[in-house]
Order: sequence, then C-alpha cells, then structure tokens
Amino acid sequence: MRDDIHERALELIDKRQVESLTTEERNWLEAHLESCAQCRKQALETERALRALRSAAPRFDVTLVLTTQMRARVRARELIENAARMRALWISCTLSWVLGVVSAPLLWRGFEWMGHRLAISRAVWMTGFALSWVAPAVVAAAVIAWRQARGSSVTEAR
Amino acid sequence: MGLATCWFMNTVEQEAGEVARGLRRRDASLIDYLIQQYQYRLFRYLLMLTGSREEAEDLFQETWIRVLEKGHQYQQRWRFETWLFTIARHLAIDFLRRRQPQSLDALLQPTEANRPLELEDTTSSSAFEQAFQGEEAASVATALRHLPPSYREVLTLRFHEDMELEEIARVVDSPLSTVKSRLYRGLAMLREWLKDIYA
Repeated sequence: MRDDIHERALELIDKRQVESLTTEERNWLEAHLESCAQCRKQALETERALRALRSAAPRFDVTLVLTTQMRARVRARELIENAARMRALWISCTLSWVLGVVSAPLLWRGFEWMGHRLAISRAVWMTGFALSWVAPAVVAAAVIAWRQARGSSVTEAR
Repeated sequence: MGLATCWFMNTVEQEAGEVARGLRRRDASLIDYLIQQYQYRLFRYLLMLTGSREEAEDLFQETWIRVLEKGHQYQQRWRFETWLFTIARHLAIDFLRRRQPQSLDALLQPTEANRPLELEDTTSSSAFEQAFQGEEAASVATALRHLPPSYREVLTLRFHEDMELEEIARVVDSPLSTVKSRLYRGLAMLREWLKDIYA
C-alpha cells in the first residue's frame, strides 16, 4: 500500500512537468511531498534536471546566420527569375495554342492545296499538317520538362 | 475566451498571415528576418536531433533554403515554428537515410524498438559537449549524449520550445501517446544520468 502511494507520487512528479495536474492531483502531491523526504528528493532532482536542460545553450556561430542569409537571398532571386521565365513560357504556350486553334482551318486548306499541287498522297500531307500543328506544343512541353528537371537537380545538388 | 487571449490569437494569426504572404512572394527581407528570429531555436533543435554540430549547421542552411522553396505551402493556420521544425525534421530524416540506410517506414513510423533517428556516434564524445555553453553545460551534454535522438527531440520541443503536446505530435508525425511516452522516458533517463553525474 505504501509502495503504491510512492509510485503514484513519482508518476505525478513527472506528469507535473510533462503534462499538467488536476487541482486534486496537485493538492495530493503537495501534501505527500511535505511528508515524504524520498519523493521530495525525486521532485527536486527532476526540477534540477529540467533546469539544467533549459540552461544548456548551444554555442552558436554568428557567421552561420550571415552565410545562410546570403545563400537564401541568392536562391530567392533565382526562384523569382525562374518564376518570371516560366510565366513568360506559359503565356507564349497559351498564345501559341490559341493561334493554332484559330489558324487550324486555314492551315488545313493550305496543306490540302499543297498536296494537290505537288501530287502528294492524302496520308502524307495530313501527317504534315498534324506535325506542324502539334510541333510548337511538343517543343514547349519539352522545354518546360527540361527546365523543371534541371531545377530539381540543381536543388538536390545544393 | 478572454479578451486578452482573443487579441493574442488574432495577433498570432495576423503575423502568420504576413509570413505566409511574404513566403509566397519569396520576400528576401522577410527570410532575413525569420532567420534572425529563429536562428538559435532552429539550431538547438537540429543539434539535439543530429547530435553533431557540423551536421546541425549544414541542416540549418538547408532548412532555410527549403523554407524559401516550399514557402507557398505554408498555411497561416499553423504556427510558423511548427512548420519550420517539421521541415527541419524531414531534412534530418533524409540526411539520416543517406547516412544510415534503413527502410522509410522505420524512419517515418518509428517504434520504440527500432530506435528512430538513432545515430551512430561518429563524433568524439567531447564534440557534442563542446557544442554547449552554460554553467552545467558539460554535465547536461554528457547526459543528453546518452539519450536516443528521438527522446532529445521531444525534450527540446517540450522544455525549450514550450510546445503543446499536440504540436509536438504534429512536428514528429507520431501519435500523442508516443510523444508522451518518449517524454516520460526521456525525462527519466535525463534525471538518472544527471543524478549519476552530480553524484
């Protein structure tokens, strides 16, 4: 029975630091600590351990902050410039797509006319039309993919 | 909720909002300010996590670069430091995975048995102790060196950062019960080590 009381006191000593105690638990613990030297010693040792932990300050090199700030500024500028370039690329892709859609009927007629004039088979000039129509999008997609792959490999290399 | 608490919450949220907007803009002066503001706390956390001054310094720089790159993901409903420590922790895990290959599950879903984030002690025992200053620095550093990094981590988040248990659980990506158990065990181990040292 006595052991149970001490065990509860030891649990509450740690709980007081890690979580918090209810009023009833706090009152019980305080009353117990007043009468039990062994548990009071444990409470003092716990407080001393935490005081020591809180007082332990890592040595900090101020140049680390300056170096980090400089690296961060350079990276921020790179990211902003990349974002601007990507925005320009996306805008030109969108414009290219819109122009492609609008000009598709004219282009189709142009290829058809050229096919008749040069006596090329229908399959060939239709393939030519398809290629010329998707080429800008393929090039843009390749550029975007290349830039993104390059960006992530640069980030990883850092 | 009291008026003072309400005002405090609003101020915190307002600040977090400004940080979120600044990070989306990749505002260099905001990053400068944040580095200044959190320099010491982040370094202490990383030192506790890795147990090595050099690694903590490398990870310190990488964390801020990552903050810059992932800044658009920060949401103002989180406290900035919680997000910052989460990023730092993920980088530390990546670093550990490269140094000590083990399964991703073991690193991210730690159990007490597999000792998550346990580092091989490659530094000399005095290196960790020399990383600290203060009256009882050597004793505390000796005691801390004997604690598993996962215990040091929660101890520093709770007793240096004064984080709530729920916040710690979010940072370490573990259930509340695991956080509590690591805190209780860590505290007991720290007390025992210091008791021996002082004796």
